[in-house]
Amino acid sequence: MAVNDADQSNRPHRSRHSGAKKAKSDKKKKQQQRQNDDGGDEKRQNPKAFAFSSTNKAKRLQSRSVEKEQRRLHVPIVDRSYGEPPPYVVVVQGPPQVGKSLLIKSLVKHYTKHNLPDVRGPITIVSGKQRRVQFVECPNDINGMIDAAKFADLALLLIDGSYGFEMETFEFLNILQTHGFPKVMGVLTHLDKFKDAKKLRKRKQELKRRFWTEIYDGAKLFYLSGLIHGKYVKREVHNLARFISVMKFHPLSWRTSHPYVLVDRFEDITPPEKVHANNKCDRKITLYGYLRGCNLKKGNKVHIAGVGDYSLTAVTALPDPCPLPSAAKKKGLRDKEKLFYAPMSGLGDLLYDKDAVYININDHLVQFSKVDDENSAMTSKGKDRDVGEVLVKSLQNTKYSINEKLENSFINIFGQKPEMSSEAVADALATHKDNKHDSEEDVSDRDQHGKAIETGEDGDGSESSDQDEAGAMMGEASSSDDRDDDATDMKAIPGDLKEHVEFKDGRRRRKAIFGNDVDQSDMMDSKEDNDAASDDAASSDSESFKEDDDDDDDDDDDDDNDDDNEDDTDDDDMGNVSKWKESLAERTLSRKTPSLMQLVYGESTVNMTSINKQNDSSDDEESDDDFFKPIEEVKKQSMKNGLNDGMVNTEDCSKCEPSVDQRWDKKDNEGIRNRFVTGNLAKAALRNSLSNGNTEEENDEVYGDFEDLETGEKYDNYQTDDAVATTVHKGDDAEAEQRRLKKLALRAKFDSQYPFFPVTPEEDAGNDEKSKPHGQANESSYFDKLKEEIELRKQMNIAELNDLDEDTRLEIEGFRNGTYLRLEVHDVPCEMVEYFDPYHPILVGGIGLGEENVGYMQAKLKRHRFHKKVLKTRDPIIVSVGWRRYQTTPVYATEDLNGRLRMLKYTPEHAHCFAFFWGPLAPPNTGIVAVQNLSNNQATFRITATAVVLEYNHAARIVKKIKLVGYPCKIFKKTAFIKDMFTSDLEVARFEGAAIRTVSGIRGQVKKAAKEEIGNQPKRKGGQTKEGIARCTFEDKILMSDIVFLRAWTQVEVPDFYNPLTTALQPRDKTWLGMRTVAELRREHNLPIPLNKDSLYKKVERKRKKYNPLVIPKSLQEKLPFESKPKNTPKRKRKSLDQKRAVVMESAERKICRLYQHYRLIANNSEKKRKINAEKKRKELEKERAKDELLTRKRQREERRVRYRAQDKQNKRMRRAEA
Amino acid sequence: MKTEYKRLKGSQSFRQRLLLATLSSTPIIIDDIRADETWPGLHNHEISLLRLFETVSDDCLVQINETGTKLKYKPGIIMGGTQHRPHDCGVSRSIAYFLEPLILLGLFAKKPLTITLKGITNDFKDPSVDTFKSTALPMLKRFGVPAEGLSLKIESRGVPPNGGGEVVLSLPVVQSLSAVNWTEEGFVKKIRGITFSTKVSAQFENSMIRAARGIFNPLLSDVHIFTDHRSGPQAGNSPGYGISLVAETTTGCLISADTAVSHARHEETAGLEDDSKKDLMPPEDVGCGIANILLGEIAQGGVVDSTHQGLLFLLCALCPQDFSKIRVGKLSQHGIETLRNIRDFLNLKFVIKPDPQTQSVLLKGMGYGMKNLSRKIS
Repeated sequence: MAVNDADQSNRPHRSRHSGAKKAKSDKKKKQQQRQNDDGGDEKRQNPKAFAFSSTNKAKRLQSRSVEKEQRRLHVPIVDRSYGEPPPYVVVVQGPPQVGKSLLIKSLVKHYTKHNLPDVRGPITIVSGKQRRVQFVECPNDINGMIDAAKFADLALLLIDGSYGFEMETFEFLNILQTHGFPKVMGVLTHLDKFKDAKKLRKRKQELKRRFWTEIYDGAKLFYLSGLIHGKYVKREVHNLARFISVMKFHPLSWRTSHPYVLVDRFEDITPPEKVHANNKCDRKITLYGYLRGCNLKKGNKVHIAGVGDYSLTAVTALPDPCPLPSAAKKKGLRDKEKLFYAPMSGLGDLLYDKDAVYININDHLVQFSKVDDENSAMTSKGKDRDVGEVLVKSLQNTKYSINEKLENSFINIFGQKPEMSSEAVADALATHKDNKHDSEEDVSDRDQHGKAIETGEDGDGSESSDQDEAGAMMGEASSSDDRDDDATDMKAIPGDLKEHVEFKDGRRRRKAIFGNDVDQSDMMDSKEDNDAASDDAASSDSESFKEDDDDDDDDDDDDDNDDDNEDDTDDDDMGNVSKWKESLAERTLSRKTPSLMQLVYGESTVNMTSINKQNDSSDDEESDDDFFKPIEEVKKQSMKNGLNDGMVNTEDCSKCEPSVDQRWDKKDNEGIRNRFVTGNLAKAALRNSLSNGNTEEENDEVYGDFEDLETGEKYDNYQTDDAVATTVHKGDDAEAEQRRLKKLALRAKFDSQYPFFPVTPEEDAGNDEKSKPHGQANESSYFDKLKEEIELRKQMNIAELNDLDEDTRLEIEGFRNGTYLRLEVHDVPCEMVEYFDPYHPILVGGIGLGEENVGYMQAKLKRHRFHKKVLKTRDPIIVSVGWRRYQTTPVYATEDLNGRLRMLKYTPEHAHCFAFFWGPLAPPNTGIVAVQNLSNNQATFRITATAVVLEYNHAARIVKKIKLVGYPCKIFKKTAFIKDMFTSDLEVARFEGAAIRTVSGIRGQVKKAAKEEIGNQPKRKGGQTKEGIARCTFEDKILMSDIVFLRAWTQVEVPDFYNPLTTALQPRDKTWLGMRTVAELRREHNLPIPLNKDSLYKKVERKRKKYNPLVIPKSLQEKLPFESKPKNTPKRKRKSLDQKRAVVMESAERKICRLYQHYRLIANNSEKKRKINAEKKRKELEKERAKDELLTRKRQREERRVRYRAQDKQNKRMRRAEA
Repeated sequence: MKTEYKRLKGSQSFRQRLLLATLSSTPIIIDDIRADETWPGLHNHEISLLRLFETVSDDCLVQINETGTKLKYKPGIIMGGTQHRPHDCGVSRSIAYFLEPLILLGLFAKKPLTITLKGITNDFKDPSVDTFKSTALPMLKRFGVPAEGLSLKIESRGVPPNGGGEVVLSLPVVQSLSAVNWTEEGFVKKIRGITFSTKVSAQFENSMIRAARGIFNPLLSDVHIFTDHRSGPQAGNSPGYGISLVAETTTGCLISADTAVSHARHEETAGLEDDSKKDLMPPEDVGCGIANILLGEIAQGGVVDSTHQGLLFLLCALCPQDFSKIRVGKLSQHGIETLRNIRDFLNLKFVIKPDPQTQSVLLKGMGYGMKNLSRKIS
């Protein structure tokens, strides 16, 4: 090999010169170039250089990585679905005209090679060996989108690439997110509209980026490039199918805790005559679909989306119409196994009902053979016709319907062969192999059997129904119209169910038992005959005939009854019991020893198919007619009811009466000694191990002989004891070993499931040893331990369930997740049938514990950021919670720091708030999506808010602020009577002790309602007493002009209103109308918004304040010292007396005055002289200075000149010297 | 919205009906409550129980007709919380009658429950509070109830006829229980017990212990029985004494038996006035009898005694949807009634298989998947 390798000349690599790869590499290069330019690239050259150097940093990095790891983990979810999973629902959603139907058609074509004419309702397809998918097209209205989001396992969001995102996509995404986020994949269509490749690429990038921000980075976006012959490109559809088939789905918490059914078939089974009589009568409907989510139990109530809550009248498991292929070891699917089922689209060929299977055959596929001979001769082309053909031909000659014939034949039997039991006939009808058995029967009888074959083959699987018909007719004719007959009929019902299971296997389990037997029994008495008939194939040997003794026979019958549980075919045979058998039944009832479970739970009415209120009805009947009743009958009744009656009023006490005291004296102590650690442990262990053995495999016989050992106590054989002990030990060890192995297997399985592909059991077994060290390595992690625990618990449950037989399992577990169910619902409004539209899938969701009750719910709500307006308290919104959609009026609130819930008038702009609303309760953590407008043509975003339920309550404690205003009507010193604050004395009493304050800030307290004689003036005046006057005290005296406020919190009522959305009860294109908001009503009726004038903002005008002058009383002024006395006498308007009068001086005064004037003149003159002199001096000085300045400058200039000359000379000399 | 009521009859298993109705939030109507008896209608303790349910839950509706023969009950939301006002249980039944439904109810409440119950602590009819403390509470732990916050404190004791006892029960809140696989009964390794006496001589206790030990001693040495003599206000209003015994096995199963001796209630002795002053049973007989009863319980097998079967079944039924496997001795009447009630309310059936070798009964069944929905999430 190696040599060859060396020799081999490989073609040299040719790098691309154009195309996508070239562009990619160019881009990469360019990027690298840029990085090199930045110089940042050097860092990456030597990674070692950037290993951590500080321990702190290392520690930090490590802790961070661990943290990241932990953040990735989620609490493991317990998966309680044990059976085959139901098909995964792939919802195809998108705005109108984006290619949804075409995509489904293409996918269906890809899987099944069938052209789907029209996509209506869910289409189930077997897509692989392990997988089925169900395609559903999401309707375009918001209700349909909400429902579709609730059942989608995978949502394909179709986006018109040429147009871009539309609101529907985002709306649907938001709905998906609130109702648990299933897998989402975007699909871009209409990409062929782009002519320019660059533009296309750009658009793809753009859309992808937006898509990623909405979901998560790396969310899958699929491109469908265009159409070829009106279909998507085959290759691309194939790829898309691959993506769908490898998709992994994780369980969503709401769905794993609630059963639900996506209805893929819908039938109205109301009797036509009833509909004819009254077209509007309530209907009976049946709904078919796979059970998903969790197990559906008997008595579960359901919610039909858009219709309402109903209790299921009957639930039946039907054979899977689209089963997974058998697990043979081969690759891929055969064409035969590529089943699909879409009854609403009219595609599936088989329709299963409770008691019939219908085959649809397209007319062009059927070739009807002609009855006339010449035609047949032509078709057979001269060949001899073989026996089968003759038989078929003869069938075509029938002139009467089967019913008529059966009637006739019955009369025949009755007239001629009274010994022949009806059961035998029924059996004869049912069996195909009737060639050998009727040698003695006359011609007419044979004829009848021929017809039997006919019915069998004609129906192809509807034998059961035929049989029933036949049986019913026999019952009628035998005129046994007693009560017991009814009971047995009821027994037959589960038999029908079983019948189908049998059909699924494609074979009948019953052997032919008559022929000789029947004839023999003909000789016997009729009773014997019946027994024989009711015998199954196993007991068909002649045992029972040998014994003539009646009692023995009865015993046999008992045995048979016991067998019945296992062998369901017998139930059919019990179809009619004639009158004489009543006593027999009674006798057996009295004689047989019921099992413990029957003792506890009474007669097992294993009537799982019809969930009805039997007990209630029977109670009612009793109450009607039990006034006088023979005591025996009452007793009998109680026997039937299962030992329940007779202790209706027993005392309720958990401690049982101290039984007859057994004295555990020393002699007897041996019996109990082994229950103590001091006893003989080996023997005790034996006891324990026995019990273990029992629980494990229930073979009492193996250890049967040990019982003596334990009780006998005579001999103490240590040898045996030891042996036993060792075996016990061994057993223990073996058990432990087994457990360990089981654990390991589980572990391996679990680990292998981490990688993508599920492992088959064979591989699993092989993996055991290999995975062992791996498992041990992982042992430490808490998370792994948790997961392992869950897995172990699951395995244990499966083991326990497998132990049980089918009926008990059904009783205990309910219908398994993944079974195909037929649900029967009664009393459905006729509108549902009338407006049923296969384009709108019906969702039937199971209601959990307490979810049908109504109450207040508290939710954490946030207005959606796309929604334009804030939401107003008490404006109706439509919420979708759990399975339901209903309209309700929420009250928004926020929580204050002290935990008070304060009402908000509007939702906050960008924050969460609480919403309280009334409606059917949903468990905490349920997502809510709210819409306000359901209409399709609304341009804006329809989702108004998203929320999550926090808790539910029977009372909502929300408060809002209230301000009571009052006015004093009488004021004492610090007490005042306040009126107008309260309307009654009772109200005053309610507010006793409340704090109040006046506008000026004086604080006070409400004391009590004012007594009439003091406070109530009107009474004194003879008028009416006025209520609601409160006596209040203040910290200071208040004024009559004061206003008194009381600020308090008052409870806000949440309206008890909810209105279920009944969108399925009206034409789908009509918009559902519910309660309207006040704003809408106003708009409609053209009403103005009421205006409170006091609430208007007005311009504030403030007048200048005029202050009065301060007046100091005279007496005070007098006392004041002079400084403090007011002196600022105002300016006088009139002239003072001095100013008014002319003043003439005296001569002496005149002299003085003149002298003064002279002095002043002299002083002024001398001053003037001095100033002039000073000026002169200053000027001279300045002149001098200027001269000096000039001189200095001259001198300096000279000096500089000399200096520079010297320098210059020196320089020249230096230069010369250098040169 | 119209509520559909589940219709029931008679006064039997009144407590469990109320309990299961509340847990499954099914409204019920009970008809014909002792309609044909001399004292028709609901009795005092039943009324008191209804009151207790009303205190613990929010917005539940109880309507009783005039004669008390018909009851309409619409359950509310179980609130729990600290109840400051003690609940008066009356003197017609002992406190354990109330405790049995209450401990299950409290687990699924909104807030942890703390409540004081007043009445009769020890009685021969119902299990005593001592047994309750030693057996029922550990049983809860096995089903995943956290140990902290789970306690029963006996403040004072009271025996019939006048009662006067007081206990404080506090219960934690659980999200859900966990299923058990509890079939190994093991061997009895130790026996513990407690005796009490109120308003009688403390010597009574010693003689009870002596008598009981006399029976246990040949079987087991690890027997400790404690005494609890109460006097003064802690001793309640009536004289009496009693004993409660618990046998613990190697696998941790607790099997208990108890009794109490006191003067009979007035109503019971109304017919026979003459011997109302009858002497009490001598303590030696009491001790001897109770030891025998305990041995009887042990001999029956099973992981619990007959008294606690009902509780065990209920706990199993309230588990998540996993299989529980348990073993009991002979099915007691109360146990059977419990199974039937579980069937009626929760639609659950157990697979019951007798085990002839050990004379015990194996039960297995799937839980209802009960979750505490009233708890607030944040």
